[in-house]
Amino acid sequence: MRVAERTKNDGGKLAPDVAGLYVPTTTGSRGRKRRGVNREGLEAGRRSTRTLLWILLAAAMVLYGFPFLYLLFTSFKTPIDAIAVPPTILPKEWTLENYTNGLGRNGVLASFINSIQTAVISTVLSLLLAVPAAYGITRYKTLSGRIFIMAALVTRMVPPVAIGIPLASMMASVGLSDTPIALSVAHTTISLPLSIWLMSSFFEAVPKDLEEAATVDGCSRLGALWRVVIPVVSGGVAVTAIFAFLASWNEFLFALLMTAIRSQTTPVVIANFQTQFGLDWGSMTALATVYSIPVILLTLLLQRKIVAGMTLGAVKG
Amino acid sequence: MSTRKTINRFATIGGICTAVALVATGCGAGGPTSTGSAGTSTINVLVEGGGRAELTGVAEQCKKDTGVEANFVELPYDGMFNRLSSEFSSGNVSFDVAALDSVWLPSFKDALQPIDEIFTDEAKQDIFPALVKEANVDGHFIGLPAWTNAEIILYRKDLFEDAKNKADFQAQYGYELAAPTTWQQYQDISEFFTRDGMYGTDVKGAVETEWLAHVLQAGSPMILDENNKVVIDNAAHKEALDFYVGLTKSAPSGAAQVDWNAAQNLFNQGQTAMTRFWAHAYRQIPTDSPVAGKVGTAPMIAGSAGVAGVPGPWYLTVPKATKNTEAAKKFVQCAYDHNSMGIESSLGLASRISAFEKYQDKEGYESFGPLIETLNGKATATRPATEKWQQIVDTVLVPMLQKAVAGGDSATLLADAKKQIEDLLK
Repeated sequence: MRVAERTKNDGGKLAPDVAGLYVPTTTGSRGRKRRGVNREGLEAGRRSTRTLLWILLAAAMVLYGFPFLYLLFTSFKTPIDAIAVPPTILPKEWTLENYTNGLGRNGVLASFINSIQTAVISTVLSLLLAVPAAYGITRYKTLSGRIFIMAALVTRMVPPVAIGIPLASMMASVGLSDTPIALSVAHTTISLPLSIWLMSSFFEAVPKDLEEAATVDGCSRLGALWRVVIPVVSGGVAVTAIFAFLASWNEFLFALLMTAIRSQTTPVVIANFQTQFGLDWGSMTALATVYSIPVILLTLLLQRKIVAGMTLGAVKG
Repeated sequence: MSTRKTINRFATIGGICTAVALVATGCGAGGPTSTGSAGTSTINVLVEGGGRAELTGVAEQCKKDTGVEANFVELPYDGMFNRLSSEFSSGNVSFDVAALDSVWLPSFKDALQPIDEIFTDEAKQDIFPALVKEANVDGHFIGLPAWTNAEIILYRKDLFEDAKNKADFQAQYGYELAAPTTWQQYQDISEFFTRDGMYGTDVKGAVETEWLAHVLQAGSPMILDENNKVVIDNAAHKEALDFYVGLTKSAPSGAAQVDWNAAQNLFNQGQTAMTRFWAHAYRQIPTDSPVAGKVGTAPMIAGSAGVAGVPGPWYLTVPKATKNTEAAKKFVQCAYDHNSMGIESSLGLASRISAFEKYQDKEGYESFGPLIETLNGKATATRPATEKWQQIVDTVLVPMLQKAVAGGDSATLLADAKKQIEDLLK
C-alpha cells in the first residue's frame, strides 16, 4: 500500500512508509499539500539512496577490478614502460611482445594442460567426496557428523606449508612424485573442507518432504539423493565446483613443492619470471592475463547457476 | 527434468574429462619421467628461473660431447629453498644436479656429494679465490661455480661527459668529474647530481649485501669472524653503516623499501646518476630505456682495506641421493669445460676467470673488466658459512638496515643486532 493511500484511510494517524518509518498524516487541502511534499521527499530520498548505492558499487568494482585492469594494461607495455617510476596505468606504447615472450617460453603450453588436468581431477574428487559427506551430515544429524564437520573446518586452519612438505614426501614414497594426480589429491585437501561446508548449507535448504515423497514413489535413499535432491541443489553444486576449481587453479605452494618437469602448473611458471637477476614484468603479466581467461569464462558460463546457488536457502522457511 | 538433464550432461562431461585427465596423468604434459633412473644418460637439473637461460647452451653442448641429456626443473628463487629442504630431508630427490645459491651451501652440505676430482690445480687457478674457498666445505669441494657476479659501479656516461657538468663540478669540488675511485668522490658526485628531480645514487635499505661490501672495505670480516664470534658491533661495521646511511641525502626517499629491483628500475629510468649494482645488469638495460647506450662501468671502490665486493655465485652440485651420479658428474665437468658459453646467454655470466677475460675487451662486455677487478679484490670475501645465514639476513640485518636508513642510531642498532644474532646462533 502506498503512503498516500494509507494516509487517506488512516485519517491523519501515523502511517508507515515503505521503509517502515512512521510519518505524521493530515487531512484536507493542507494535508494534500503535505502528501505531495512527502511523496517528493520520499522519492528524492530513494534517489539519493540509489545514487549512494551506485557510488558504493562503483567503488567496490574499482577496488576489485583495478588490480586486474592494471595487470591487463601492463601486459601491453614495453619493458621500460612496465617498470616506470612512478608507474603509469595505460601503456604509452601498446605492444604484443610480452605475449610472444611469455607464451613462447619453454613449458608454458604443458603447464596449461597440467593446470587444467589438476584442477579438473581435484574438482571431481572434491565433489565426489563432499556431496555424500555433506548429505550424510545434514540428513542424519549425528554427533559424529557434527564432530566431523567441525574437524573439517579445523583442517582449513592448518597452514598449507605445514602439510605440504610431508605430503610431498608421501607422494614420492608411493611413486606419484611429479604427477598431476598427486597434486590433485593435495589440492583436494584444500578444497574438500570448504566443499563439505558449502554443500551442507545447500542440503539444509532442501525440505525433507521432497525426499520422503520420492521414497514413497519407490526411490531408495541414494536414488532420492541422485534423482531429487541433487537437481534441486544443482546451483549449489555449481558454486562448490567453481570454488574447488579455483582453489586448485590458483594454488602455488603445493605445486611448487610437488611438481618438477611433468606436472608443473602455470602459477609456478608465472613465478619463474621473477629471478635473482631481475623481474620480467611484461611477460609475467601477459601470462597471468592469459591464465585468468579460462576462470573468467567458466564463471560467466556458470553465472546463472552460481547466483541460484548463492540464493539457495535464502527463502527457507 | 531439464535440470536433471543438465546434471547428467555435466556428470558425463566431468566423467569424460576425468577419464581423459587420469589417462594423461600417466605421462604428464611436461615431458618424460622426472626422476632420473639409475645408469641412464638423462639427468634432471634443478635451476632457479634465471639459471635455465645460463645453462641451456651448455646443456646442448654437453649432449653432443658426452651424450648426457639435461632436462631442466625450473623453480622460482623464493620457493627453491623450501623445495630443496623438502627433498633433501626425505632422501628422495627429483633432480640429479642442482644449481644452488652460495648462501645455501652450508645448509645442504650433508646432502651433497664431494666433487673434488673436478677441482684440479688448473681449475683452482682459473676460479676466483673467494669462490674456491667457499666451495670447500669441511675439507671437500661440494659445488662447482657455474656463474658468478659482484657489484660494480654503473654510472651515466652521458652526464659525466657533459661539458657543462664537468665545468660546474670542477668549480664546485675542485677536481675533474670522472668515474669515482674513492668513496669521497662517490659522495661528492652523488651530491652534485641530486637536483632537478634527479638523484646522485640510490640507497638500498631492503637488501644487505651492499652494506656488507662496505664492511669488507673497512677491513672487517662480515658479521662473524673466523671463530664464528659475532663482530657486527665493531668499528668497521659502524663506519660502514654510517657511510651507507649518509648517502640517503643524495638518494630517492623511501630507502627502507628500496631493493635490487627498485634500484635497477630507478637507474634504468634515468632517475639516478650512479648505482652500485650486480654486473649482469649492464647487459640487461632495456633498449627502450632512456639510459641505453649511455652507461659506463667502474670497479667497486676501495676502502681502507682495499677493493671489496661480495660475490654472488651459483654452484652446480650433485646430491648424494641421486641414482645417476656418473652422468651428473659428467654434466658438471662438461659445464665447467664450456663455462664461457654462459656469457652468450641472456644473463651473460660465467665463473672462470679465463671466460671473463676472453670477453672483457669485446664491445658490449664493458662490465667484465670491473667485475674481474672486484672479484679479485684484496678484501673480497664470500658470506659467512653458517646455515643460519639466511635467517640472520631476513630477521636481523635487513630490519636493522631499514631502521638505520630511516634515522635510527647506528651504534644502538648494531648492538641490538649483535644480541639477536648471538641468540640465533646459540
